[in-house]
Amino acid sequence: MTHDFVQNFPLFCIILTLFSGPCCMILRGRWARYVNLGVISAVGVMSLFVLLDVCARGGSYVYMMGHFPAPWGNEIRVGPLEAFMALFFCIIMLLSMIGGAPQRLRKIEASKENLYYVMVNLLLSSLLALIYTNDLFTAYVFVEINTISACGMIMICQNGHTLEAATRYMIMSLLGSGLLLLGICFLYGLTGHLLMSNIKEAVAQLVAAGTYHAPLMVAVGLMCVGLAIKSALFPFHSWLPDAYGYSTVSSAAILSSLVSKGYIFLLIKIFYRVIGFDIICNSKIINIFFVFGIAGMMFGSISAARETNIRRMIAFSSVAQIGYIYMGFGLGTGMGVLASIYHILSHAATKSLLFVSAAGLSESSADSRELADLTGAGYRNASAGMAFTVGALSMVGFPLFSGFISKILFAQAAVNQSGKMLPTLIALALSTILNVIYFMRAVIVIYTPLRSIPAERREGYRRIRMSTYPQITVVFGCFVLLNLVLGLMSQPIVELCARGLGMFG
Amino acid sequence: MNGILLVMTVVLPIILAVPVALIRWKQDTHWMIYTEGVVLLTSALSYYALANSDGQAHVLFRFANDLEIAFRIDGLASVFAALVSFLWPLATLYAFEYMSHLKHREIFFMFYVMTFGVTLGIAFSGNILTMYCFYEMLTMVTLPLIMHPLSKEAIRASRTYLLYSLGGAAFAFIGMIFILYYGTTSAFVPGGVMNTPAVMSRQNLLLIVYVLTFFGFSVKAAMWPFGGWLPKAGVAPTPVTALLHAVAVVKAGAFALMRITYYSFGADFLRGTWAQTVLLVFVIITIVYGCSRALKETHLKRRLAYSTMSNLSYILFGVVLMTPLGLTGALCHMVFHAFMKICSFFCVGAVMHQTNKNYVHEINGLGHAMPVTFTIFTISGLALMGVPGLPGFISKWNLAKAAVASEHPLALAGVFALLVSALLTAIYMMSISFRAFCPGRDFDLTAVAGYRDPGWRMLVPLGIFVVVMFVFGLHSAPLVEWLATVAEW
Amino acid sequence: MIPMTAMAPFHLLTLGEGLEISFATDGISLLFMGITTVIWILVGIYAVAYMKHEERPGQFFAAYALLYVILLGLDLSANLITMYLCYELMTLVSMLLVVHNHSREAIMATLKYLFYSLCGAYLGLFGIFYLNHYCVDLNFGSTGRLDLSALAGHEQTLLIVVFLMLIGFGTKAGMFPLHGWLPSAHPVAPSPASAVLSAIIVKSGVLATIRTVYNIIGADFLRGTWVQTAWMSLTLLTVFMGSMLAYREPVIKKRFAYSTVSQVSYILFGLSLLQEQAFTGALLHVWFHAMIKCGLFLCAGVFVVICGCKRVDELHGIGRKMPVFLACYTCFALALIGIPPTSGFVSKWQLALGALDADVGFFSWFGPVVLLVSALLTAGYLLPIAMRGFFPGEVSCSEQVGLLEKKEPPLLMLIPIVILAIAAVMSGIFPTGLINVCRNLAAYFL
Repeated sequence: MTHDFVQNFPLFCIILTLFSGPCCMILRGRWARYVNLGVISAVGVMSLFVLLDVCARGGSYVYMMGHFPAPWGNEIRVGPLEAFMALFFCIIMLLSMIGGAPQRLRKIEASKENLYYVMVNLLLSSLLALIYTNDLFTAYVFVEINTISACGMIMICQNGHTLEAATRYMIMSLLGSGLLLLGICFLYGLTGHLLMSNIKEAVAQLVAAGTYHAPLMVAVGLMCVGLAIKSALFPFHSWLPDAYGYSTVSSAAILSSLVSKGYIFLLIKIFYRVIGFDIICNSKIINIFFVFGIAGMMFGSISAARETNIRRMIAFSSVAQIGYIYMGFGLGTGMGVLASIYHILSHAATKSLLFVSAAGLSESSADSRELADLTGAGYRNASAGMAFTVGALSMVGFPLFSGFISKILFAQAAVNQSGKMLPTLIALALSTILNVIYFMRAVIVIYTPLRSIPAERREGYRRIRMSTYPQITVVFGCFVLLNLVLGLMSQPIVELCARGLGMFG
Repeated sequence: MNGILLVMTVVLPIILAVPVALIRWKQDTHWMIYTEGVVLLTSALSYYALANSDGQAHVLFRFANDLEIAFRIDGLASVFAALVSFLWPLATLYAFEYMSHLKHREIFFMFYVMTFGVTLGIAFSGNILTMYCFYEMLTMVTLPLIMHPLSKEAIRASRTYLLYSLGGAAFAFIGMIFILYYGTTSAFVPGGVMNTPAVMSRQNLLLIVYVLTFFGFSVKAAMWPFGGWLPKAGVAPTPVTALLHAVAVVKAGAFALMRITYYSFGADFLRGTWAQTVLLVFVIITIVYGCSRALKETHLKRRLAYSTMSNLSYILFGVVLMTPLGLTGALCHMVFHAFMKICSFFCVGAVMHQTNKNYVHEINGLGHAMPVTFTIFTISGLALMGVPGLPGFISKWNLAKAAVASEHPLALAGVFALLVSALLTAIYMMSISFRAFCPGRDFDLTAVAGYRDPGWRMLVPLGIFVVVMFVFGLHSAPLVEWLATVAEW
Repeated sequence: MIPMTAMAPFHLLTLGEGLEISFATDGISLLFMGITTVIWILVGIYAVAYMKHEERPGQFFAAYALLYVILLGLDLSANLITMYLCYELMTLVSMLLVVHNHSREAIMATLKYLFYSLCGAYLGLFGIFYLNHYCVDLNFGSTGRLDLSALAGHEQTLLIVVFLMLIGFGTKAGMFPLHGWLPSAHPVAPSPASAVLSAIIVKSGVLATIRTVYNIIGADFLRGTWVQTAWMSLTLLTVFMGSMLAYREPVIKKRFAYSTVSQVSYILFGLSLLQEQAFTGALLHVWFHAMIKCGLFLCAGVFVVICGCKRVDELHGIGRKMPVFLACYTCFALALIGIPPTSGFVSKWQLALGALDADVGFFSWFGPVVLLVSALLTAGYLLPIAMRGFFPGEVSCSEQVGLLEKKEPPLLMLIPIVILAIAAVMSGIFPTGLINVCRNLAAYFL
């Protein structure tokens, strides 16, 4: 494919997903599902081509939307990092959708099914836009679309819990969006631009001149806090356990793996492309991120250890993992940001695996989500048990899996930083121990034989063989493979991300 | 050629173990022969590799530039690998008899053989990352063995084991990162790999990291206060407690500590610092604590588990002295204690298997019904006490020699602790022998008339251990000389 | 001519580097071997008759014979390692003798014996570990084997170590504070076992002390230090305390056990003076006390088994039934008290002379005073048995004695007792040979 043709792919992706959303509205449930899967696959394939193309070219390029050049027109920017992120997100989304399909078909009313796919498509489009955009206001628009579609995904099976969760999510998210918008407005007022590269030049001039220091910091602060709220950094995480805990499997998987990561990616973009990484490092913002990141790690894990509902436990674990990412930012070096990016990949792969396998375990235990009821589930649903074990091991940082590489990258980033090194390493160690406490407890519970449970409670327990849901077994296989690839062949991936990060600013 | 041999020795048992559980065997003897065959083959390969080692590092796999999985045979590796390879076939033989009336044996033996491969992986590790990876794998692959009885205590014990082990590894991880960052290479070099100029300016930081890493790896070596998992793991079947928790797993912990002290951080860097003093205190406390708890414990296997905790700290005492003599003493005790303790555990296991009695107060008079077993138990008890003529005396001698020569103020306290521990050992081991052989005039011997000594599959390993103990006790010079050359840097 | 130094030691095997098992003869070893053999033969003869009243004689004699071999090994040791090996083995095998009749008290007493012995042995081992580094080697020499250049700066630590060793080896010799096993072990063991326990086995503690102080450390190192003072104090305390406790003890074998505690500390006191005459007296007392105490315990065996009496007050009037036997007992009593011309007097006289002559200040006169007081107490606890036995007075014969026939104990039991009684008295009348031997040895070491 010629470069010129491939160059357009990012735009194609966004447009495709954006329009397939309304399409699904008029289709019936089954067709909507096929369209959805097809769209995700197509986007994935296109992203792959973009990635190959960009790597071959060795640099990022800017793509004009329409015929209006900067600074009045809109732009998207495509580099190795962006393309890779898009590809990865598509893979995760595809696997999550397939893996969550059986539960979805049971839980959601048939008449409302196509609405779900509308939401998913919109979500994909907003993620792609956040990844590729080079314009701050466009980013804001798609942030809003992201929020709404995520909210819809939570609410799709209506019961008391999901309504409350969705409402809480809405409130916190809109608060975050509001702060983000305020920050963008300030920034626009200070610099007069909305296109990221232009803003950066203007900010550099402002900082060099030393004027408007306070407003600039306020603007940056507002944007950071806004995005932090949306990505569930401690202490703004209260919406997360309910949202992930009570929604459908594919929703939980996609929300935890992709949605918060989209906001974090935007945050990285703001760091590198809007403000400039050096300025951010010189300000005190990263110290705040560091402290809250570590607090999130600890608090999330402690709360997870107290949970008896397996979904909420995994959800609190997400709070902890997001804390890791912010701690990586807090280190204030390129290596720290790289470690955070890698952790985005690792966490996405592992968390969706955990949600899907937990659903499989629940299904074999009369749909209960309480850990006590899941005793022996590993014997009833062998593939889900093994997949859950793999996910748990990866979370704990067991060598061979992606979590181990994440830990190494974080630790290596920390060692270079004299002041923050010891807290980081000790926090990593303590967090590992806490992870062991609740994840390994769960693993042991699912492999404890059933004898300790009285017979009455065992009604509805059934064996699920690998042949019952062949597509889910394949999904498990793919997830485990993905985890192993990230764990064993991390070198090329890390290099790719590093190169992309270098071209990011 | 040599690299493939090394890799095969480690990987073969892991792969070949899988058919044990997956194939539907027609008869028990078939899979027993297959299992023992795999173990013997691995031992043979291991000895062949040790005999023909070229001292080169062989990379199996690369994570990143400086992060690679590599194997290499050096002196320390030979000691550990030789020890483990000798004991595993005998322990497997014993385990067949012991597990004969238990369920799910095939899965048990699959993990049992896989553990062998992983332990060899630890022994042959050429750098800190390899050792860390196999160390973590050891935890996971021994977990099903502890969980095997699937009773409430077993589940609780495995949870405790997992928490302690993975928690310890989390702290050891910090040390690994530092070694990777501050060392000239990640490989193991006698004398340490620290980049001296860069290190001297950050000495205190590195000492803190060393202490944390030591604590992390010392979980497996059951040092106080991180050894709480070891007595609880006594609920596992005896072949597991004997081989793994008296020989393989705990010695792997001691081995890892030797590696980081002498081959990564470097003993010269560490000797004389506050870190050494702190660790000496912990080690000495463990020596006495383990024996005191053993004295109070009435469950036979838990008593021996506490005894292991104490004896492991003998090894750690030698390690923390940070001199070649100290390492020699530590290696001596590592080898000798393995034999003595596995012998004791197997005797106790035989008693539990034949009579179903688990507590000290239940074995009155059993020495008359099972004379061979209890005689061997008494011999191993005398050996642990340190009677000259048996190996315990030799290792105590070497440890004391190293301690007095090191001239560290706490070293003499350590020697004193060793002897206090010997005294307590005498009491808790000899009291069992006494109860067995001298139950008192008014004891009715017909109560124990129905019990017999166990079958040949249990007695042959026991006999071999006794012979080896006497050989080591009476003629230890060649072995100790070899260990002294291994300990040089 | 008794060789003083060890002739070309016989090397049996090497346990490890620096751990050689070798045997050699020198004056001390011949002395100890001699008394061991004599006692062993006599008690063996006695035991043949005695064990008819006990169970499992076969086990007893097996342990008895094995113990003899080990004791020979101990006496012939050429270095500290061999000595420690034989010391430990001796503890283990003698345990079998003590626990022989398997009663509850016997088992408890054996465990107590094991515990105390191991405490002592490990204190000694602690010293051996330490000495290994600061001595040229651990072979027994004439004036000590300390490597003084290596020792520089560590003298205080070495003194503490030596003190601990003295307490450790003193355990076997019944020195305060670790003497507690003796009174428990003696009553429960069969009498032949008690006899060799008191006569020979406690002397192994003495032997170990001699080897350590004189052959390894060297008397010059210790002379005048606080260790010597403390040692002398402990021995004198034991002398007095043992006699006091014996005086008040009604059970016969326990009384004799406390007597052993006291008498062996005479020997240790003599050793602690680090002076020629005292050393002579100590060595003499090794021989004499062995013979006397052995005899006393054989008598106690007769009391227990033939007369059925365990307590002193049950022995009234026994002289009427067994005159020869009680006469022998009286010889032993007189000898132990130290009445001239019996053997006990010779050794105690040498000890007193040595104390007065030694340069130890306060202890020079205090020692002999304590010895004298102890002699009086000895008279107090030994003579009444003889006197009440022959002259029961108003209190007529006790019941058990009344039931006896007027017959001496069996020949096999009586003959060793008579031989020992005669020896105890004759050695006092004709002591010259033995005194010369001991004097030569003393001159050699000091």
